[in-house]
Amino acid sequence: MSTSSKTLIGAVIGALAAAVLAHLGLTSIGQPVGAISLGAIFGAGFACLTNARSTSPGAGLLWGLAYSFLLWLAGPAGFLSRHTSNAPMGMLDTARQHFPELVGYLLVFGAPLGLALGILSARKRPRDSNVIPFSLPRALVAGGLAGIVGGWAFGQWMEKAHFFPLIAGLVGSSSPELGKLLHFIFAVIIGATFGLLFQRDVRGYGSSLGWGMAYGIFWWFLGPFTLKPLLLGHAPDWSLAQGQELFGSLMGHIVYGLIVGVIYAALDKLWVGFFIDSDPINRQPEGPGSRTLLSLGRGALAGLVGGLVFWPQIVAVNGLHWIARLAGGESSAFGLVVHLVISMAIGAGYGVLFERESPDWSAAIGWGMLYGITWWFVGTLTLFPIWLGASFTWTNSAAAAALSSLVGHLIYGATTASVYLLLERRHQDWMRLDPRFVAREARLQRPIGTPAPALWFFALGLGVLLPILLS
Amino acid sequence: MLRRALPGLVCGIAAGVFLAGSVGGPTNGLIVGAILGVAYALSLPRVAPPGAAADRAMTAAAFGLPLWGAINVILLPIIAGHMPQWTAGEMRTLFPALVGWLLFGFSLGLFTTGAVRLTDHLLGELSPPPKPSLPEVKTRIVILGGGFAGVTTAINLEKEFRNDPTVSFTLVSETNALLFTPMLAEVAASSLEPTHISTPLRSSFHRTRVVRAKVSGIDFEKHQVQLPDREETLPYDHLVLALGAISSLPPGDGIAEFALDFKTLADAMRIRNHVIDAFDRADAEPDESRRRALLTFVIAGGGFSGAELAGALNDFARGILADYPNLSADELRIILVHSRDRILPELSESLANYALVRMGQRGVTFELNARVSSARPGVVVIKRKAPEEKDVANETDGIEQEIATETLVWTAGASPNPILKDLAIERDKRGAALVENTLAVKGHAGLWALGDCAVVPDAKTGKPCPPTAQFALRQARTLARNLRASINGQALKPFHFDSLGTLCVVGHHTACAEIKGYKFSGFFAWFLWRTLYLSKLPGLERKVRVVSDWTIELFFPRDIVQTIDFGPHAEKSPR
Repeated sequence: MSTSSKTLIGAVIGALAAAVLAHLGLTSIGQPVGAISLGAIFGAGFACLTNARSTSPGAGLLWGLAYSFLLWLAGPAGFLSRHTSNAPMGMLDTARQHFPELVGYLLVFGAPLGLALGILSARKRPRDSNVIPFSLPRALVAGGLAGIVGGWAFGQWMEKAHFFPLIAGLVGSSSPELGKLLHFIFAVIIGATFGLLFQRDVRGYGSSLGWGMAYGIFWWFLGPFTLKPLLLGHAPDWSLAQGQELFGSLMGHIVYGLIVGVIYAALDKLWVGFFIDSDPINRQPEGPGSRTLLSLGRGALAGLVGGLVFWPQIVAVNGLHWIARLAGGESSAFGLVVHLVISMAIGAGYGVLFERESPDWSAAIGWGMLYGITWWFVGTLTLFPIWLGASFTWTNSAAAAALSSLVGHLIYGATTASVYLLLERRHQDWMRLDPRFVAREARLQRPIGTPAPALWFFALGLGVLLPILLS
Repeated sequence: MLRRALPGLVCGIAAGVFLAGSVGGPTNGLIVGAILGVAYALSLPRVAPPGAAADRAMTAAAFGLPLWGAINVILLPIIAGHMPQWTAGEMRTLFPALVGWLLFGFSLGLFTTGAVRLTDHLLGELSPPPKPSLPEVKTRIVILGGGFAGVTTAINLEKEFRNDPTVSFTLVSETNALLFTPMLAEVAASSLEPTHISTPLRSSFHRTRVVRAKVSGIDFEKHQVQLPDREETLPYDHLVLALGAISSLPPGDGIAEFALDFKTLADAMRIRNHVIDAFDRADAEPDESRRRALLTFVIAGGGFSGAELAGALNDFARGILADYPNLSADELRIILVHSRDRILPELSESLANYALVRMGQRGVTFELNARVSSARPGVVVIKRKAPEEKDVANETDGIEQEIATETLVWTAGASPNPILKDLAIERDKRGAALVENTLAVKGHAGLWALGDCAVVPDAKTGKPCPPTAQFALRQARTLARNLRASINGQALKPFHFDSLGTLCVVGHHTACAEIKGYKFSGFFAWFLWRTLYLSKLPGLERKVRVVSDWTIELFFPRDIVQTIDFGPHAEKSPR
């Protein structure tokens, strides 16, 4: 399909989306004609911009979400709120007032536009001999199983928050057991669609983690915000108050997405290893075992550097005592040791999860920040309270209290990823003298052209913005 | 550079409009935007792939986040003399700045990519940077020998020179794998699969060329290594002799013809198959004396390899008796012949005595102060030391005794590779190359030697280092460092190493260890042996395979499948 055809389709979908948004009262332009015209222009602009990038439904969806999030930032949260008030909190308050537009932009404009263009491009996609071909059974089985595990983790919070009877309400019941069954059915369906949408782009555990997080956030907007009230026969409530009410659900969706991402990557790798890589004709000169050990070592060293850079921020918020308590101590010195050990362990995790994911420095920093924010959600808000004998709360007040360490986590992730790339390149440089390794490195390295930049923007932007907006 | 910087400057200023609220006013925003724009444009690669605008715009937008964190949350408050603004309330006040940075990033990425494209369109595309051609190889290092010394030298050279393309490495080996000799006895005793203790050379290196060939000679004048199997000579600038040692079977008296070697993987496999063959034949043998001869296994040499082999074979042979109900344990004899009054001279006397007692309790018979003097099919003759003689090796009139056996394994000695005899270098009486404590061969620039084929004086004690793998590994590290120093015109480092200790397995769950003066024996020493040697076994894959073999052995009997035929039509493989 030619670029002009795609641009036309983009314009049509953009115009339709704007019409729906105008109907719902979610546009900042007063006149519907003006809103529809702008929608057509933005739809056409999206088609032009991502013509070479929306190459599959999953890639299209991510580009669409990132693009619509950017439009919301530029429009209701940016220019318009600045126009409304010059005071900083005034701008935040205006952005909060425009929260329903954010949901509308994502679900009505970005997602359909990206999916449609991705589906159209996927049909014409040329075969790449370096890429393992798409497999429907692999996507459904691995994604479905990953969904079950992620659903189990999410279910822990849902049980605590007495959420299952609400789910059962979808079929007119209030039975928690039925709610649990429905929850797992949804979890399997979402997991399977994760495989369908992102199998082409997921390469390692780390990137799959990122995709999972973004997909989890997307499903928070789509599921409890939109589909649940629709299935219950109500009009969706996209207000900020509803978002604040559902903050725990956001955390659950993020954790669910992260788990689905990691488990999917593990099952996908197992599948590929069992059915494809184990075939002697596909054999590589260096087995995965040696690579993993090297990555662990490099990641631990990078994590140590990241931990040292993170250290002043923790000292500034007097956090070392809190960290020391994780290992039963009290003193700052002990806290520093525990912090560095944890940093090394998490860094080792980065090494294994993100090996060969970064072709350049910008990619490394992108993945690193995503990994850092993941640990803010998983570590600071979830695991560490459990470790200290308390229960995770996943409330917006808990997020507000921990917001100070968010910047530190981002810095830690970016530093760890940069040092890791330095070490990885150092190892790769001398390998490049051997043509066998050159070919292998080229095959394993994440190519340019995947929707990773859209993922970074969408997941990082909303990962930081939602706690600020909702708390 | 200017052609790139200019679009970056313009786009940075244009995108800097969004930074007005982030860096303290429109002017500051334009200045910061201009600086970042130039830096961003200069960091872009010359050639943009299709779709790069979307990638760059979104990536730069995502980078707005750390810039906001670094500048607005941390840097600007610190410059103003305050604490960073990272509490929830403070970060909320910085929300406009965050939006500004995100939009600035997106605009900068999008505008700059477009502006660079426009510039290329107007002024013509910049040619892609020429692919850097590899510089010519200036120094060729050739290593002779694929044992511990040679392989470790190559690995350390790769680490020393890393990605320096002006130096090339070539390793010449007669075999295509590095044999882990400490576990060889376990192969002979069917405890480990043969290939599991060998690491393929071609998988062991990143940039070393492996040439499988015999070396027929070295031309020191022309700096060339001659390979008879190939129509090529290998030129070198530096040559490393890591040729190792071979078994020294004594000529005459039938020993060389009758005895089995115990040096290579093939030797170990041959011994294993020979033992199984002897059991099968004994099972069908009605004559009791013939049966006893078939079930008698003589091992010459009570050093490390002889004692370990005797212990392992004893376990193997007694274990497989369960599969031969016609044979009795009383008919089975494992005899260790040693020329001194105690085995394991490398260990202290108390540990050697411990090994002797434990092996004796498990069924090994010892012939001490004796040596194998001759052999013929069905008979091994040993000569005991006369009571007045000090050393049986020099005796003239000993007491001879014939042992009826079909099996003699020779572990009693090794000598340096015979190639060294043809070289015009200084050697000791065994034929090993004399080297300086820097591992350089005396009188030959660019010639180095290490391992079993060299006499390496320790830099501190001046005494020759023992020919063990432990020393060879350390010598290889020093040699690689010295080779680099030599090429770079730096000072060479003399070799010194204090032995860590020795370990020897003498039977099931039984070993002796002497580490830094501390003595261990029994199960702990055996566990130590397995742990240490497993960690030394090259390659994760091999480690996993060996652990798997050891685990299987816990639950299943050892394999007695015979893979080499010793029947009437089968010939003894050339040694």
